[in-house]
Amino acid sequence: MDTRLKEDHFTLFRYVSLAFKNLRRRMVRTALTISGVGLAVAMAVSLGGFVMGYQGAINRSIDMLGFQVMIMAKGCPYEAATLMLKGGTGLMYLPGDTYEKVKNDPDIESITPIFVGIALKEGTAKDSEKTFTIINGIDVPSFLSMKPWLKFQSGSGRWFSPQSRDEVVLGSEVAAFEHRQVGDSFEANITPYGNTEAVYRQFKVVGILAQAGTQDDGTVFMPLDSARSAFNRPRQLTILGLKLKQFNAATMRDFENKWLKLPEVQVVSLQQVKTTLISLVATAQTMIAAVAVIAVIVALIGVINTILMSVYERTGEIGIMKAIGARRGDIFQLIWLETLVICLFGSVIGSIFAWFGSGLVEKAIRSLADFGVSGSIVLITPGVVGYAILGSAVLGFFAGLYPAWRAASMRPVESIREGV
Amino acid sequence: MKRHYHRGSETVKALDGVDFSIHSGEMVSVLGPSGSGKTTLINLLSCLDAPTEGTMTVAGKSVTGLSEDQLVEVRRGVLGFVFQQFHLLPTLTVMENVELPLTFLGLKPHPQRTKEVLKLVGLLDRASHLPKELSGGQMQRVAIARALMIEPKILVADEPTGNLDKATGESIFGLFKELTQKGLAIIITTHNMAFGYEADRVMTLEDGKILKEEKRV
Repeated sequence: MDTRLKEDHFTLFRYVSLAFKNLRRRMVRTALTISGVGLAVAMAVSLGGFVMGYQGAINRSIDMLGFQVMIMAKGCPYEAATLMLKGGTGLMYLPGDTYEKVKNDPDIESITPIFVGIALKEGTAKDSEKTFTIINGIDVPSFLSMKPWLKFQSGSGRWFSPQSRDEVVLGSEVAAFEHRQVGDSFEANITPYGNTEAVYRQFKVVGILAQAGTQDDGTVFMPLDSARSAFNRPRQLTILGLKLKQFNAATMRDFENKWLKLPEVQVVSLQQVKTTLISLVATAQTMIAAVAVIAVIVALIGVINTILMSVYERTGEIGIMKAIGARRGDIFQLIWLETLVICLFGSVIGSIFAWFGSGLVEKAIRSLADFGVSGSIVLITPGVVGYAILGSAVLGFFAGLYPAWRAASMRPVESIREGV
Repeated sequence: MKRHYHRGSETVKALDGVDFSIHSGEMVSVLGPSGSGKTTLINLLSCLDAPTEGTMTVAGKSVTGLSEDQLVEVRRGVLGFVFQQFHLLPTLTVMENVELPLTFLGLKPHPQRTKEVLKLVGLLDRASHLPKELSGGQMQRVAIARALMIEPKILVADEPTGNLDKATGESIFGLFKELTQKGLAIIITTHNMAFGYEADRVMTLEDGKILKEEKRV
């Protein structure tokens, strides 16, 4: 039997194992500290997911509008920004001849007129909590040239004819919510312009769109003239959606200047809308970030406190370890690893919670403030999780420095005598 | 060899000129009242502290003037320690506790060697037990086994029987005698005169000086 002692190439593994065993000693304290880190990391990951997801959702929603520029009635720019995304109650209308004036502009590649109206949902006219349906009156050929991805659910119908007065096509969410199929009727209470009472209207569903993941899923489409007639605004429009032949900052500026001569319109670039919407929640994001940073700092103080307590409790043991051959660096490494283990475990647990809880976070955010974008606004990607774990490791590195230094600086004999 | 401390304008002469040597296979006990300099002497002999005057040679190597980090290097592999408080790691088994010094020396665990050492201290059958499952005497034996794991040349024992009853203390001193027969040098501080006089040589300290030194036959 060879009794010579051999060099160990896995000392780091042994230190990690020792660190785990030390942390197991006070399971409740360790678990609470890990929970604190986990909570802070979950907040940070959710915030990161919200920042990324929200911007992605804004971009996606606006790109899925299909046009680059909107011409609409002058009014609140925020209303303009959200109008096409989630509808709006303070709708303003363009004079009917705006379309005729604009449509022949040589810079325009394509243009589609849209009328937006808000109808009370069937049977809700007398309810205390009224719900609304967005009705879009559209010109099908030009509308589809902007949104070529719009398709019907398999075997679910066709577009209406322009002259039709009682046909509608439903977005997938509306159809699902109302349990409607092609051939069914669709009822709505519409208040024509000039009336004070809603008028009950019944339409025939001729098509149901496949899910697009956009605001169109929650929209009822009908022919432009049919919608304008129903709302008693026979010559008015809500929006002109446009694509320019050349779209960049310069051409957009020129186009804007050209049409701002019409006193009643504003020209809005979708790029501006994106910027406006993102800036709308930037303040909220900054505040949430501040809360997350404070949570992380509190968690770190908790980690430092836990490890320091653990170091003081083990004064005698640390003294013995130094006496039996541990260098200062060995003690530093051991205590530092314990801190790192807590931070890494906390970050992994926090990330898992954030990952699986992102749906709840999204619901909570939407219930507090509906930003009017479709799709997920909290997007937790492996990248966000990776950054969180890396960040925790870095924070763990710094949090462990002081307790590890204190432990490494202990003098062996005094420590052994103190640590009775 | 002297060790003086400065407290403000006052100079504390913890050790004030001691001169002696300890040889391989010899057990020396250091007796004396509190404040006589026992702890300071143990600190110096353990290379946990350095003298302010004089020289000290451990296992043929002068340790005079070495920094704390250099003293650690002398300590590693030459000196073994046993203290009044056993300070076993409660989450490690007896075997793991005994193997712990190897980790700090960057050496692989050596189960065969560990078992031999545990057999020497009479605890082979307790190898997989946790410290909380052992008596005080058994825990001190584990601490001795831990000290022996790196095959030290000198074993420094500071009040090793301070927490043990008389019978257990006697068995620990019996073990020390066995170890000296294997060539180990052992230096022990103790308040217990009876145990102290079990050693080959007894030094009595008072006011930082060797009051008397008795060699036993």
